[in-house]
Amino acid sequence: MRWDRYILPLALILAWEGLSLIKVIPSNLLPSPAKILLGLKDLMVIGMPPGNLLPYHALYSLYRVALGFAFAALLGIPLGLLMGGSPRLRRIFNPVIELLRPIPPLAWIPIAILWFGIGMKSAAFIIFLGAFFPILLNTVSGVVSINPIYFEAARTLNAKPRHIFFKVLLPGAVPSIFVGTRIGVGIGWMTLVAAEFTGVKSGYGLGYMIMTARDIQRPDEILAGMLVIGLIGVLINSALRVCESRIVRWQ
Amino acid sequence: MKTPSFMTIVTALLLLGVATPADCKQKLIRIGYLQSDIHQLACWVALEKKLYRKNGVEVEVAGIFKAGPEEMSAFAAGALDVGYVGEAPATTAVANKAAEVTVLAQVNTEGSAIVVGKDSPVKEASGLAGKRVAIPGHSTVQDFLLKKALIKFNVDQKSVNVMVLKPPEMIGALKTGQIDAFIAWEPYPAKAQTMGVGRVLLTSHEIWENHPCCVLVASDRFLSERPQDARALVQAHVEATDFINEFPDEAVRIGVKYTGMDEPTVRLAMKNVTYTYVLSIDGEKEYVDFLSRMKYIQRMDSEAFVRKFINQGILGDVTKK
Repeated sequence: MRWDRYILPLALILAWEGLSLIKVIPSNLLPSPAKILLGLKDLMVIGMPPGNLLPYHALYSLYRVALGFAFAALLGIPLGLLMGGSPRLRRIFNPVIELLRPIPPLAWIPIAILWFGIGMKSAAFIIFLGAFFPILLNTVSGVVSINPIYFEAARTLNAKPRHIFFKVLLPGAVPSIFVGTRIGVGIGWMTLVAAEFTGVKSGYGLGYMIMTARDIQRPDEILAGMLVIGLIGVLINSALRVCESRIVRWQ
Repeated sequence: MKTPSFMTIVTALLLLGVATPADCKQKLIRIGYLQSDIHQLACWVALEKKLYRKNGVEVEVAGIFKAGPEEMSAFAAGALDVGYVGEAPATTAVANKAAEVTVLAQVNTEGSAIVVGKDSPVKEASGLAGKRVAIPGHSTVQDFLLKKALIKFNVDQKSVNVMVLKPPEMIGALKTGQIDAFIAWEPYPAKAQTMGVGRVLLTSHEIWENHPCCVLVASDRFLSERPQDARALVQAHVEATDFINEFPDEAVRIGVKYTGMDEPTVRLAMKNVTYTYVLSIDGEKEYVDFLSRMKYIQRMDSEAFVRKFINQGILGDVTKK
């Protein structure tokens, strides 16, 4: 068993707990690992605000991300394939994309609220913006990086455009599309929390839960919430990696 | 040339230290208040009329916050010495051991209101059932008042969809129909009226008569290290509060300057606020009991908590003279 990978995290946690016990680390600024676990328990049992339990916060957040991400993938992958296949389309779209891409999704929050109101739609829009560009650009670069010899070979064999698309272009681009997807979901997940900071109608969401814990001055629950966000992020990434390895078997 | 001895250098540095501005800086009191909260007019009057300086202390505004919980986080970080803040967030922060502060004086009583859209079908509190109501944050005085109103007027709390919005965003949200009502500190209810967006459904006077609202708090560290400065600060606060009640027109002008709002709004807002430095012990006990019933803080002996949380000595000393 590869136990050595656990040495450093365990040592850090023990040192942290120890320093907290002897009050070198003040608990109002950084609660000890044990307190954070108790905070996690409170989030599960009492909820934050009291009555709104952690699993529901996580589900609402996941739903928002799924919605924003689905739109980003539905728009980003086809557009990326088209742009990858046509230098002319790339020339047409690139200036607009290059202008919009560097704008942080969070800078859109005031506009998102104006267009979509407070709640699900504006949060999904922010997540869409976070996920769209990595998906689009990785798809484009996936297509562009396919060796042109494959296209020429296919044409020499009289392959129809439809066949070239499904047999050469799409499989060639898939690995890169997956990279874009994983980056996109990752950024979407990160933006989600901030998007929820600005307000939610339902009273649920991990970002909203953290802000409420701040209102009620519970740093242990803030950190427990952050831990949950990190863990879900890891789970999403692993799930996508599993999908990737199943679909892209030839790599 | 003889090299200066170690002691000479140390002495020289110490002397330099005495004469440098670091000394003046040490005297500065870092103060915080809430953005555009007309309850905290006494703070602005004291700043404008230089009442702090008159009483021998210098303050610097170290933070202007959008809601009380944020200000309490600044206390937890050690970034403030004193602050004007709502009694509920201060209580929550101390009870949850996030920040160590003590109440030195009252700032105001009453002064909040539930506002609905101008043409809203909601004519009385019972109409709030099934509606979306915005509060400035959990564990704010307004969160507390809304819950109290729902209980008082027999509205099922679960039927009301409460959401958090910062007061500057509330009027816009009400106007665009994203919320059906909001509860906020003045002058936001007044502003909603003068803008023709909303009307007051209930004032906080109707929810809980003479309820304590904002308080002047000091960090425990500041209080133990600089008790004289704390006393001077309370003196300035008392003078500022008296000033508001004696010269309301001048106070309105200062309110206009600090809120950035128009005069009719500020006048209307101030009608809804009682400016007083008299501490309310019973009111604070009610906060503690209610907050623990809401599970924001753990159950505790409210008597003992209030005795430690509110320092009546300094104010008593200042007002006796």
